[in-house]
Amino acid sequence: MSGLQRILHAEDDPSIQAVARLALEMIGGYQVLACSSGHEALQQAVGFAPQLILLDVMMPGMDGLETLARLRALIDLDRVPVVFMTAKAQPEEVEQLLRLGACDVIVKPFDPMQLAARISSIWEASRR
Amino acid sequence: MSPPQAPTDPQDEPSTRELSRLAALLRYEILDTPDEPVLDDFTQLAARFCDTPISLISLVDDRRQWFKSRHGLDVSETPRQISFCAHAIAGDDFFEIPDASLDPRFKDNPLVTGEPHIRFYASAPLVSPDGYKLGTLCVIDRKPRLLDLEQRDALKRLSRQVMRLFEERLLTSQYAEQAALHQALLDGAASAVVVTRADGRISRINALATELFGYPEDALLGRVATSVLFAPDSLERRAATLGAELGRAIAPGFEVLAAAAREDRPEIREWRLRHRDGSEVPVLLSVLPIHDERQQARGYILSAYDLALQENLQLRLHRITAQVPGMLFQYHWRRGALGAFPYVSEGVQQIYGFNVADVTPSVEPFLNRVHPEDRAALVQSIRESAAQLLPWHLEHRVMHPEKGVLWVEGRATPLRQPDGSVLWHGLVTDISERKAEQLELDRQQEMNRRLLDALSEAVVACDEHGKLTVFNNTARLWHGLDAHPVPPERWPEFYHLCEADGVTPLAPERVPLMRALRGERIRDVEMTIVYNGRPRHVLVNGDPMFSSDGKQSGAVVVLHDITERKRIEQLQRDFVSTVSHELRTPLTSITASLGLICGRVMGDIPEHLQELLDISHLNSIRLSALIDDLLDIDKLNAGKMRFELAREPLPPMLEQAMRSNQGYAESHGAHITLSECPPVAVEVDAMRLQQVLSNLLSNAAKFSPAGGEVTLSAKRHGDRVRISVHDQGKGIARTFRPRVFQKFAQADASDTRQQGGTGLGLAISKELVERMGGQIGFDSEPGKGACFWFELPCHEPNGGGR
Repeated sequence: MSGLQRILHAEDDPSIQAVARLALEMIGGYQVLACSSGHEALQQAVGFAPQLILLDVMMPGMDGLETLARLRALIDLDRVPVVFMTAKAQPEEVEQLLRLGACDVIVKPFDPMQLAARISSIWEASRR
Repeated sequence: MSPPQAPTDPQDEPSTRELSRLAALLRYEILDTPDEPVLDDFTQLAARFCDTPISLISLVDDRRQWFKSRHGLDVSETPRQISFCAHAIAGDDFFEIPDASLDPRFKDNPLVTGEPHIRFYASAPLVSPDGYKLGTLCVIDRKPRLLDLEQRDALKRLSRQVMRLFEERLLTSQYAEQAALHQALLDGAASAVVVTRADGRISRINALATELFGYPEDALLGRVATSVLFAPDSLERRAATLGAELGRAIAPGFEVLAAAAREDRPEIREWRLRHRDGSEVPVLLSVLPIHDERQQARGYILSAYDLALQENLQLRLHRITAQVPGMLFQYHWRRGALGAFPYVSEGVQQIYGFNVADVTPSVEPFLNRVHPEDRAALVQSIRESAAQLLPWHLEHRVMHPEKGVLWVEGRATPLRQPDGSVLWHGLVTDISERKAEQLELDRQQEMNRRLLDALSEAVVACDEHGKLTVFNNTARLWHGLDAHPVPPERWPEFYHLCEADGVTPLAPERVPLMRALRGERIRDVEMTIVYNGRPRHVLVNGDPMFSSDGKQSGAVVVLHDITERKRIEQLQRDFVSTVSHELRTPLTSITASLGLICGRVMGDIPEHLQELLDISHLNSIRLSALIDDLLDIDKLNAGKMRFELAREPLPPMLEQAMRSNQGYAESHGAHITLSECPPVAVEVDAMRLQQVLSNLLSNAAKFSPAGGEVTLSAKRHGDRVRISVHDQGKGIARTFRPRVFQKFAQADASDTRQQGGTGLGLAISKELVERMGGQIGFDSEPGKGACFWFELPCHEPNGGGR
């Protein structure tokens, strides 16, 4: 099977969106489709066919959790791991995200130098 | 022989006249008495004068004639039937039988036919002053004859003298009897009696008088009563007042007693008489005149009632009443009349300012001293006590002439008297002091009440039984209720008490007042009062209350409203939280961008930019850490940080801490070693424990000299384990030590920038350790490095984690 290439990233903050895309593309060499909202992520999801989805939790309009729930109707999430990025790092919040179907949680602020490596290991773990 | 006219036969019914005659005879008490020479003189005289051999004084009773005196005859009596005298007393004044042998009434009389052979008999009757013939003085001869006129007259005169003698003896015996009666009366009297003649000389005294005055009877008889028994000065005083009353001069002698008595003004007066030994004898003396037939004073009876006993009793009463603080009294009241005081003790001076000697029974002076505002109530209370015969009790004011207004308390018990009046026995005491204390107490209580009601804090107190005793205005306002008799276990429900969360009902045993009542000291306990659906957050302080004897008398709590403070705190927390999150988002992108640049992801960096970019990167990381710490502190303060406590073996956690912080330490040129760790387990949130260890280890590394060693170790002390981080830095300055665990405290302001810390690490560590049941501290001697440590309760490792 092929390695990880396509990552769909939904993040409303353009700066973080840009830094994360740079880190993933420049360090990990992944192809990143950056969306500014949950709605946009839903629109792009089927066409882009991401292998991994990176979702910001707090987004205006439709938050990460709702986006995840709607994505479930569009793509096979058993095969596409969803990773949340959040500034809320309380254990109970992390637990809740995992329970709702997240594969893993990356806490902001993240180390851009480690982001690609972290995503890679999550992807590897999800394959097993 | 024929019987005399008078019925002499005992079978015959005696006439009424004869019965009276017999009674008169008996009254003289002469029958069967011994011979008396004085009477024998009369019979001898009669015999000689009449020239007869026999003469008799003969008395006739119902059955015989008995001879009181006999001359010339041996027999002492003869039967009445044969007696000549019975005939004589039935007849006229003089009775004569010239020859009995020729007289048909006597010729057969045994006294005529036999011894003493009477032929002649003549007699004069013994006639009592009331006309009864008791018997005769008679002369008898054994030959016939007649008395001449002279002899007859002599016999009559002699018989009258005999009768006079009888009469005199009767009077003497009657007098003796009366004298004995008088003496018995005198000696039986309850008073000492002195009888005087008109001039005051003592004629008789009774036994009590000899006893009372100490004189034998002989020593007093004949002496003037006033000069021997009376003190001259008291006589003079009395003479003066009596003289003034009578309007004429009275000599200070016996006349003092006699004058009033004589004028039919017998008086009873207290005197202090003189005992023989010079002492005073208090008596109540009455003087009565003894009048003769012409209403002339023949003498006086002085009757002295001994007052010593009564005085002793009064003295005792006086001594007792003198001990009583206040005025003892008797008060007497009769319907339709003014009341009176038959008795008041000397305390009347103390209470009403009256001299006890000047007090009259009248109630008016007393009433006038009662405070005008209290008079009506006083009169009313006495009326009620009289009507219902209930004890009288009243506190009222008295206007004392010297002391001013006094508060007094009166108590008395009424007794209904046989005549329907009421007599109280009671006591009036001065309670001014107590009243003043009470007024002061009232004043203080009033002040306390005002103070309590003016407080913005709620104050609630209860007695030792849990009865609510204080519930100030604020408390009423907050609860929407006043103090009600609700048992303590129902307080939470009744007064809407909840936990600090504002919804969970407070368990009764957690109610602060209840805890204080059980002896606990309550400090800053938070709870809520839910009234009208809104929770009021309060901070409660409370204490048990004790009486002076050390017994718990209740409890008190003070509730301070912290609702507004909590709201502001919440706003602040929201603000901090919001600001932190808002800061973090841009900071994330800055840090990440700088990370990518400094990580050469975007290609090489010109050398002259390298240093500035590194500084920017490092400081953006520090800023992130600062925000993280701020958020942690905020969570800790808000109680929102959750601790997942689990029992974990300690050694692996220390190893992990060493490994995770080794990189950081080495970047500061230091090295971490784990020297020792006992195989114990601790109950901690592993993540938070790591956070504490990271803080301590990174601090130690930052302050280590180049090549310095940071030693991590753990040592067990009983049921606790102490984890220590020791560095070889310059130690902690003495002046800084008290502030080590304060927020944003660093040894000097420049440290923050130089050492790259946030100034929150140790404050956060302290909170975290304490939340996990531990303690944090440090040891430091300047120049010998610093040792930060914390202790946690430890368990045997086989206890295992949860």
